[in-house]
Amino acid sequence: MVLKNKLAMGIAATMLVLPLAACGSNNETTNNQPANNAETKTNEGANNAANTGGETADAGTKLTGDFEIQYFVGGYGDAWWKKVIADFQAANPELNIKALGGPKINEQNKPRWIAGTPPDFVYIDGPELNDRQLVEDGQLEDLTEWIQTATNVDGDKIIDILAQAPQQYDSKIYNIPLVLNSWGIFWDKALFAEKGWTEPTDYQSFLDVSEKIKAAGITPFIHTGKYPYYINGAFLFPAIVSANNNDYTVLQDMAANKVEAYESPAVMTALNKIVELRDKGFIDKGSVQINHTDSQMLFLQHKDAFIANGLWLPNEMSKDVPQGFQFGFIPSVGQDNGGKIVANTSTATVAIAKNAKNKDAAKAFLQFIFSKAQASQWAELSGAPSNIKGDISASNAPSHVKDAAKYLTDANTVVIPTITYNADVDKAMQDASAALAAGTIEPADWVKRVTDAVKKAAK
Amino acid sequence: MARATGHPPNLHERKVNVMNSGSAKLQRTVFIASFIVPTLLFFSVFTIYPTIKALYFSFFDWSGMSQTKDFIGFDNYIEMFKDPIIWRAIGNDYFLVLGKIIGIMALATFFAVALTRFNFKLAGFFRSIFFIPNVISVVVIGVLWNFIYNPQIGFLNSFLSLFTKDQVTITWLGFADHTIWMLLPPAIWAGIGFYMLLLIAAIQNIPESYYEAASLEGSGQWRQFWTITLPLIWEQMKVSILNIMMTTLNGSFVIVWIMTEGGPDNSTQVMGTYLYQMAFRQYHFGFASAIGVLILVLSLLTTVVLQRLMRQETVELG
Amino acid sequence: MNQGIKNPIAKIIFLAILLLWSVSVIYPLIWTLLDSLKDNQQFFFNKPWALPNFPLLWENYSYVWEKYHFDKYFVNSLLVTGGATLLGLLLAAMTAYVLARFKFKGSGAIYGLYISSMMVPFILALIPLFFLLNSLHLTNTKIGLILVYTSSVLAFGIFVLVGFFKGLPKELEEAANIDGAGYYGTFFRVMLPLSQPGLIAVGIINVLNIWNEYIVGTVLVSDPEQYTLPIEIGVMQAEMQYRTEWGPLFAALMFTIVPVLILYIIFQRQIASGITAGAVK
Repeated sequence: MVLKNKLAMGIAATMLVLPLAACGSNNETTNNQPANNAETKTNEGANNAANTGGETADAGTKLTGDFEIQYFVGGYGDAWWKKVIADFQAANPELNIKALGGPKINEQNKPRWIAGTPPDFVYIDGPELNDRQLVEDGQLEDLTEWIQTATNVDGDKIIDILAQAPQQYDSKIYNIPLVLNSWGIFWDKALFAEKGWTEPTDYQSFLDVSEKIKAAGITPFIHTGKYPYYINGAFLFPAIVSANNNDYTVLQDMAANKVEAYESPAVMTALNKIVELRDKGFIDKGSVQINHTDSQMLFLQHKDAFIANGLWLPNEMSKDVPQGFQFGFIPSVGQDNGGKIVANTSTATVAIAKNAKNKDAAKAFLQFIFSKAQASQWAELSGAPSNIKGDISASNAPSHVKDAAKYLTDANTVVIPTITYNADVDKAMQDASAALAAGTIEPADWVKRVTDAVKKAAK
Repeated sequence: MARATGHPPNLHERKVNVMNSGSAKLQRTVFIASFIVPTLLFFSVFTIYPTIKALYFSFFDWSGMSQTKDFIGFDNYIEMFKDPIIWRAIGNDYFLVLGKIIGIMALATFFAVALTRFNFKLAGFFRSIFFIPNVISVVVIGVLWNFIYNPQIGFLNSFLSLFTKDQVTITWLGFADHTIWMLLPPAIWAGIGFYMLLLIAAIQNIPESYYEAASLEGSGQWRQFWTITLPLIWEQMKVSILNIMMTTLNGSFVIVWIMTEGGPDNSTQVMGTYLYQMAFRQYHFGFASAIGVLILVLSLLTTVVLQRLMRQETVELG
Repeated sequence: MNQGIKNPIAKIIFLAILLLWSVSVIYPLIWTLLDSLKDNQQFFFNKPWALPNFPLLWENYSYVWEKYHFDKYFVNSLLVTGGATLLGLLLAAMTAYVLARFKFKGSGAIYGLYISSMMVPFILALIPLFFLLNSLHLTNTKIGLILVYTSSVLAFGIFVLVGFFKGLPKELEEAANIDGAGYYGTFFRVMLPLSQPGLIAVGIINVLNIWNEYIVGTVLVSDPEQYTLPIEIGVMQAEMQYRTEWGPLFAALMFTIVPVLILYIIFQRQIASGITAGAVK
C-alpha cells in the first residue's frame, strides 16, 4: 500500500508493468493467492526456469508448503517486493507465500527470531535489524558453500554477476547484497545554472562554491542530524578513504574494532574537514534536530544548497520535487583536487534464516531474484541500482540511477564495499559526528569517544 | 434500601450467626478466594511473570535476538554504573521529575483554587477545557509539539519571526546542552488537567464554613489559601507529587522517544529511552533489563524519600 | 458565602491567565484540524497558523480512511478497548471489593503488590510477554491484546475502586446481608449498582488509556488485519520517515483524537469523579 504513488513517477515502470495487469500497481492482496495464471507468465520467461534450473536441493520438484518473506519497507518502497513475490507465486502455484512487509516489520518480527520461529527469507534493511548482529546471533544460514555454485534462474552463476561481493564474516558468507546504492552529496543543477555556481568535483571546489552560496544568502549544507549516519556515510567515511590514499581497508579495520584504525591520521584529516565546514558556517544549524524528510524538504525548497544523502533520495521525495528541479550528484566531496572520487556504497542484503522451515523455497527465491530481469525491475520500481552487474543503461531505470551505476562502475572511482560496524560503535560514531557538526566537541573528543566504545565492544 | 432499614436487624443477625458460624466462615473464605484468586492469577500470568522474567534477563549477556544467553552475574550492573550516558539519563529523569512537580503542582494548584474559590462564571468551562490534553494520546502530543518546535516550518519560530527582522531559525530540540528543558513544556502541558481535577475535588471537600469563619475574621483570599486550603489539600498534593514522580520515571519514554529519540548526542536521554535504545537498537537486552531494574529501584527509593520529606512538611504546616 | 476575588486588577490578571491556558489547549486541536486540510506546499510556504487554501483537502481524510484501512482499525480498536475495559473492570471490582471490606491474612500484601506494580516500567515486560502469548497462540489476535490490556489496567482499577468501596456506607451491605442476599448477591445486586459512578469513571479512564496505547500493540501484533488505531499511527509515523504526507498525518491524528474527545465530552463528570474517587476519601 505504501508505494502506489511512486509508481507514477517511474515513467518507464509503467511500460513493463502493463502486460502484467493482474499484478499491477494497485495489487495489494497478491500475497496469498496465486496471481492470476496464464497471462501473467508472459513475463521474462523467467518463471519456468524457477522450477527446473538452479541448485535447489530438489531441483525439478515442485516447491510446496508455507514460505514466509520478511521485508522492510523504507525509502525503496515495496512495489518491487509485491511484484517479485507475485511473479514467484505465479511460478510456484503450490507454494503458500506469506509476505510480511512494512516499515515496522523489523520490530514486529523480532520476537519470532528470538523464539526460533523466524520467517524463511529476510531482506535486511532499516532500523533494528543489523546483519552483523544477526550473524553473531547465529540467526542466518551459512551460504558460503551454496553460493559458490548456485546459479540463478537464467543459469548464470550468482556470485559472478554480483556487482559487489557478499560481506564476509570470518570468511563465511551469510547474506547477499541485493541493492547497490551510493551515499553522496546532492544539489539542484537548475539552481546552480541559474546562479552561475560551479558544481563541485573535489573538496576545494566544494568549499569555494559554498562560500558563494553563503554569500547569496542560502545555507550551503544540510544533513540529517537526528540520524547522523547520513553525514557519516555521505561525507565522513569517503573523506577518510580519500585521506588514506584511497585505501578503504582503514574502514574495514575500523569495523573489525581495531583501535589504531580510529587513531589514524586519515580519520583526523576527515574530521577536520567537518570542522572546517562547521566553522565557516556552511552547515545548517537546524540540521541537528531534524529527520530525513524534513531535511530533504528543506533541500528541495532551496533553503539549503547541498544535502548529504543517498541515491534513494529522488525516489523518496518524488512527490515533492518542485518543477524544474534537477538532481546533481557526486558520491564524495572530500577528495583533493584531481583525487579519485570515493563512492561509499550502501547495500541492503537478503538472507535465509538458519531456522527457516522452507529453505528450499528460500534458496529458489534467491535464485529467482538474482536474475537480470528482476534486477532491472528493481531499478525501475525502487529507483535504486540493483547489485547485478551491468545492463542498467539499456533499461528504463530513472536517469539518476544510471548516473549512479556509471559512478560505481567507473575505473576511476574507489568503491567502498559495504561495511557494517558494531552497533555500539556505530552509535558512538553517530553521536560524536552530530556533536562535532554542531560544534560541541572537537575531533580529538570524537576519536576518544569512539575508541572508548570500540574498546568496550571488543571485550 | 428503605425496606431493609424497616427490618428488626438484631434478631435476624443473631439467628444467622448462631445457625452457621462454622459454615459461614467457610462461605466467607470461599467468597474471598473466588474474588481474589481469578484476578490475581490473571495478573500473575500477564504482568508479574513477564516482569520477573525480564528482571532475570538482567543477569545475562543477551543480544535480545540470539537464542543463546550467557549468565554473567552482576556484570550488566557494573557496566551500567560505569556508563556516563546512564548518569546523564538519571540526571535528565530527575530534572523532568523536579520540573514537572514544580510546574504541574504550581499551575494545577493555581487553576484549582481559581476555579473553585474565585467565583468565575466560566469556571466549569475552563475545567472541562483544561483536562483535554489528558485524553489525547502521548503519540499525538509528541507529533504536535514536534511541529511547534520545527526550526523551519514550526509554529514557534514563525511566531517569533513576527517580531524580528530576520527569520528566526532556533533549533529548539538541538541545543548542545539543556535540550531536555524543551521537553518540559509538553510534559507539563499534557499533565496538568488530571492533577487539577484531583485538587479541585479536594478543595470542594473543604466545608464552606471554614472559609466563612475566616472571612468574618477578615482574612482575604491569599490568607485563606495558606491557612485553610493548602493544609487541607496537602494529602492530595502529596498523592499528586508521588504520582508525577512515578509516571515520569517509568513513563517519560514515549514523549522523549517520539520527539528526540534521546538525541542530539544523548542530551535528552532518559532511563526509559536508553532502555529502549539498548534493548532494540544496540542489541543489549540484558543490559536494558538492568536499566529496567534501576528504574524500579529508583522509583521505590524516591517514593520512600519523598514520603519522609513530605511527612515532616505536614507537621510543620499543621 | 464565597466572595471570590475583590481586587478587579487581580481578577483580570487571573482571568487572562485562564484564558491564555485555554487557548494553549484548544488551539493545537484547531491547528490539527486546519493542517489536516493542507497539502505539503502549504505546509512549507505558508505560516503554520494560516488557514488552509480552498478547496479544502477533505480527501486527506478519505485517503487515510481507505488507503490506510482506518475503517478496519477503528472496529478493531473498538473491540479491543471494549473487551479489555469490561473484563478489567469486573476483575478489578471483585478484588477491590474484597480488599476494601474483608480483613484476611495477606490482604495488605496483595494490595501492596498491585500498587507497587504501578512503578514497574511496562516496556521491560514486552519481550517475555510476547513469548508467553506466542506459546498460548495468542499473538496477532484481538483476544491476546484484550488479555494483556486487561492485566495492564487492573492495578489502577483496584487502587481507585478500593477507595470507592471504602467510601460507601457499611450499613447498606449489612442490610442486604440480613435480607439473605449472601456474599455474591450483596456484591452483584447491591454493591456493583451502588458503585456505578466509580466503575464508570475507572472504565472511562481505562478506555482512554487502552484506546491510546501503541507500544505493546506494536510488538504483539504484526498482522495488519489485527492492527488497532494507535498501531497504525505508529506505522504511519514510521512511513513518514520515508515519505512526507503531513496533511494525511494530521488527518490520522484527528481520527484518533475525535473519538476520545467525544467520549470525554459525554462522560466528563464521571471522569472527574473517577479521578477523585481514589484519592479523596
